[in-house]
Amino acid sequence: MTSTDVLRPPPSDIKSRIKAWLMNWAMAHVGTVFRLLRAVWPIPHFGKFAAVTRYDDVKEVFASNSKFSVTYQAKLEVIMGKPQFFLGIDDDAQHNRATDAMRTVVRPADIPVRLVPAVLAAAEQAVAKAGGRIEVVDALVRQVTFDVLCDYFGTPDPPGADMRVWATRLFEFQFADPGNDPVLRKEVDVIAPAMQAHIQNLIDERKKSRGSKDDVLGRCIDKQAQGEPGFSDDDIRSALIGFVVGGLPQPPMVVPQALEQLLRRPAILAEAQQAAKDNDDKLLAGYLFEAMRFDPLAPGLMRIAAVDRTIAAATPRATKVAKGTSVLVAFSSAMMDERRIPEPRRFNPRRLPHEYMHFGFGMHTCFGIHINQALLPLMLKPLLKKDKFRRAPGRAGHLTKRGAFADTLSVEYLP
Amino acid sequence: MVQTVRTVVIEGEPDSIEILQKLIDDFKAEEEGPPPDFVYKYDRLKMRAPALHFMSMSIFEAADYDPIFVIETNFDGLDGPIWAQLEAAIPSLRAMLRCCKRPAGPLGDVYDAISYRDSIFPLAPYLEAHMVKPRIFHLGNRGLDRTRILRESELFVACQDELMNAETRNPNPYRPATASEIHQRLRAALRPKFSWLDEPASPRIPKLENLTDRLRLIGLVLAVLLCLSIPGLLLALVSHSWVAIAISLAAAAMAARAIGDLGDLRQLIPKSASPGGKLKATIAGICGLTLYVLVFSFIGAAILALLTPVTFLGALKANFIEMLKAALLVLAVGLFSVLAILWWLRRLERRDPSQDEPPINDKLMREILKSEDHIVQNHMGSLVLVKPGALRAVLIRIGLVGLGLLLRVTARDGYLGDMRTIHFAHWALVSNESRLLFLSNFDGSWESYLDDFIEKAHSGLTLAWANGVGFPPARFLLLEGATHGRLFKAWARHSMTVSRFWFSAYTEYSVNQIERNAAVANGLRRVRFDNAEDAKTWARNL
Repeated sequence: MTSTDVLRPPPSDIKSRIKAWLMNWAMAHVGTVFRLLRAVWPIPHFGKFAAVTRYDDVKEVFASNSKFSVTYQAKLEVIMGKPQFFLGIDDDAQHNRATDAMRTVVRPADIPVRLVPAVLAAAEQAVAKAGGRIEVVDALVRQVTFDVLCDYFGTPDPPGADMRVWATRLFEFQFADPGNDPVLRKEVDVIAPAMQAHIQNLIDERKKSRGSKDDVLGRCIDKQAQGEPGFSDDDIRSALIGFVVGGLPQPPMVVPQALEQLLRRPAILAEAQQAAKDNDDKLLAGYLFEAMRFDPLAPGLMRIAAVDRTIAAATPRATKVAKGTSVLVAFSSAMMDERRIPEPRRFNPRRLPHEYMHFGFGMHTCFGIHINQALLPLMLKPLLKKDKFRRAPGRAGHLTKRGAFADTLSVEYLP
Repeated sequence: MVQTVRTVVIEGEPDSIEILQKLIDDFKAEEEGPPPDFVYKYDRLKMRAPALHFMSMSIFEAADYDPIFVIETNFDGLDGPIWAQLEAAIPSLRAMLRCCKRPAGPLGDVYDAISYRDSIFPLAPYLEAHMVKPRIFHLGNRGLDRTRILRESELFVACQDELMNAETRNPNPYRPATASEIHQRLRAALRPKFSWLDEPASPRIPKLENLTDRLRLIGLVLAVLLCLSIPGLLLALVSHSWVAIAISLAAAAMAARAIGDLGDLRQLIPKSASPGGKLKATIAGICGLTLYVLVFSFIGAAILALLTPVTFLGALKANFIEMLKAALLVLAVGLFSVLAILWWLRRLERRDPSQDEPPINDKLMREILKSEDHIVQNHMGSLVLVKPGALRAVLIRIGLVGLGLLLRVTARDGYLGDMRTIHFAHWALVSNESRLLFLSNFDGSWESYLDDFIEKAHSGLTLAWANGVGFPPARFLLLEGATHGRLFKAWARHSMTVSRFWFSAYTEYSVNQIERNAAVANGLRRVRFDNAEDAKTWARNL
C-alpha cells in the first residue's frame, strides 16, 4: 500500500495536480451547470453518454431498474469475489430476497435502542475529549461512524490494519474512480483479498463462539445455523463487506459537507443549534438533510441502458438512448429542480420527504437509509449544542475536499 | 404569493369506474379516519400537500361520453411541485389511474410504465400531461397563501380570546379605551406569541403581476379590435372614398335594424350609475373611439407606406386626409362587423333549444345533496356540452378569456360583482374543448350561492355559460340567461355530479372571515395608527 492515511495523498506531479484542481473546480460548480442544463438541455446526450437532470427523469431512470442497470458488479467482484451482493443485482426478485434476508439481521428496532444511544455517546465523548476545538471529518464523524457501526456489524479492525483505510480505499475504487486509476487498483488488489480473509476469519471465529455477542454477524451465524436461505458464508461475507465498504465511508463525506453549508448560513446555523439544544431531533434532521441538498454525496449515479429506451416519453424533451449508453442520473440536480421542488434555492428545513433523493430512489435505495436518517444528525448534535460554536480561524475552519471526499474542517466551541 | 388553479382530467375505463369510485371513497374514509400516525382528519393530506387550499375528485358520467375522472386542485405557487406532492399524499393515486383508459400515442407508454404491478414510476409527469388550465378563474382571497390564512385566523382567535378574557377583569381595560388604545393593548398582548407581526406582510398582488394582468387585458382588446379591423383595412387598400364609408355605415345601420333588440344592451349599464359616472363613461367611450381611429389610421398609413416608395412619415404627411378617411372606413367596417356578428349571434340565440326540465337522476341527486352543507363551505362540479358552430367556437373562447382577464383586473378584493362567497372557482374546456367544466368552492348553501349568482352576477355567469347546451335563453351572451332563476337552477343541478372527495385546508373560514382576519392582522402589524379614523375602521373588524 502506498499510504496508511485514510485518504490517499494528493498527487505530486504537476499534471495530476492540475487535473485534480480542475476536477475540484468542476465539482464546486456542477450545480450551476445542472441548472443551465435543466433549463435548456435537460437530457444531454452524445454518443454513448447521456445525463438526466430533471426530477421526473431522474426518478424515471431510478424506477426503471430493468431498463437501466447498475454499474457496480464488475468492481464488486474485485472487492468481494464472485458471490453477489445485492448492490450489483438488477433482478427484482433476487434483489429483494437478498435485502429481505439482511433486514432480518439489520433490524429497525436496533436504531432507537442501540444505535442512537451509541452514536450520541461516542459523539459526546469525541467532542468532550477534543476540548474546545475539533476536526470534524476524521476526529468526529469518521471516528463515531466506524466505532459504532463496526461494533454493530461485528467487524472490528483487522489485526495490524485500519478498517477506515481499507473501507475508504475500496469505496473510492467502487464509487469514485471513473478513470480506473492504476495506482488505486494496485492498493485494492492488496486490500480486497485481505478484507475477504479478515471477514471470513471473523465468521469462522464467531461460529466457534456462537451467541457470545448480539451483533449483525452473530445474528447471521444464528440464521445460518437455523438453515435459513441467504446466509451461507459467502452471503454473510459479501454482505458485511458491502455494509462496511458501501456504507461507512459516506457519513464522513456528507456530514462535514452539511456542516460547512450550515456554517455559511449563520442565521440558519443558530436555528439548527437551537433545535439541537431543544432536543428536537426531527427538526435537527431537517436542517442536516436540507444542508446536504446544497452539497450532496455526489452529483449523480451511473446507470447503463439495458435496452433501447426513450426517457421522458411524451414530453418535448423525450430522448431515445441506445442499449449500452451510460446514463448519469443526476439526483443532486433533481433536488434543485423548481419544476417539482418548491423554491429549491431557499433553505427550508421543513421540506417534505419526497423532495430529497439523498439515498436514491427505487430498488437500489440505500439499504441503510433508516440508519442514516436517524444517526447522521446525531453525529453533530453534541457539537451543535455547544456555546460559541464557530469555525476555527484560518483555512482550517473551512471544509477542504480531496477528490470526492471531505478532507478537513475544524471548528471551535466553549468546552 | 401567487395562487394557481389546475385540473387533471382523464378518461375513465367504463368497466373500472366502480373500482375507481370505491378507491376514491376509501381514500376519503382513510383521510377522515385519520390514517395511523395522524391526529386529525385530513392531516396527512394537509401535511404532504402543504400548498393545497382546496381539492376535489369527481367522476362525471354522461350518455355521450365515457366517464371522466377529474382532480381539481387550487394551490399556492406555480404548477409543478403540486403534482409531486399529490403523488406523495395520495397512496392510492396509482391505483386510481389504473382505472383510467390507456391514452393513444407516446403517453400510452407512460401509462404502461406507471400502471404495471409494483410500479414506482413517477406519476407527476402523467398528471401534468393531463392537466387542464382554466379559461376563467376567480380567487376569493387573492394573494393570501395557506400558511398566512391559517396564521392570521389563529391571530384573530387570539384577539377574540384576549377581548373575552378582559371581560372577566374589573374594570375591563378595553371598555373605556379608544380604538388606537385597543390596538396598542392588543398588539402588546399578542406580539410575544405572534412574532411575525413584526415582519411586513408581502404584497397580495405584486406590482409585476398587476402590470401583467392589465397588459394582457389591453392586449386582448387590441387583438380583438385588430381582428375586427382587418376587413376594413383590406377594403381601404382598394378604396377609401367617402362613398365606401357611407355604404359601410349604411350596412351597419341595416344590421342594427335587423337585430331588432340592440337597444336592450343598454341594460348592461348599471342602474345605480350616477349622472357623473354616466358622463365619465361617455367621455371614456368617445376617447376610446378617437384612439381607435388614430391607432388604425397609423396602421393604415404604415401599410400604405410599405406599399409606396416613400417613407412612413412622408406617407403620413402627404396622405393624412386619405389616412383619416381610411381610418373612418376601418371604423365603419369594424362597426358593421360587430353588428353583423351580433346579428348572427342573435339569429343563433333565437333558434337555440333550451332545456326547461332537464332529467334528474334521483340517486345521483340524493348523493349530491347528502354531500352538501356539512360545513360553512360547499363544493360544486358541473359539466355541460358546448353548443356547436364556428361563431360559438370563437365567442366562447374570447368570452371566457376576456371575462377571465377582466376579473383579474377588477375582482381583486374577493368580490365578484357584489358576491363575496367564492374561494376558488373556474371554468375550463375539456374533452377536446367540446365540454365546459365548472368547479367552485364557495361559502353557504348551493341554493344561496346560485341565488347570489342570479341576482348579483348574472351577466358574467351568462357570458360564461350561455354557450352550454340547454342553458336558459340568453340574449347577446350577456342578457337574461341566468336570470331565469328556476330554469337556471334546474339546468345547473342537472349538469352536476357528486364531489366524491373534497378537501378544504380551512373548513371553518368563509371568504369574508379570511378578509376580516387579514384586516385585523394588517392593523396589528402596524406599530400605531396615526389617524383615529383608521383605527376605528380597523377596530370594527374585531
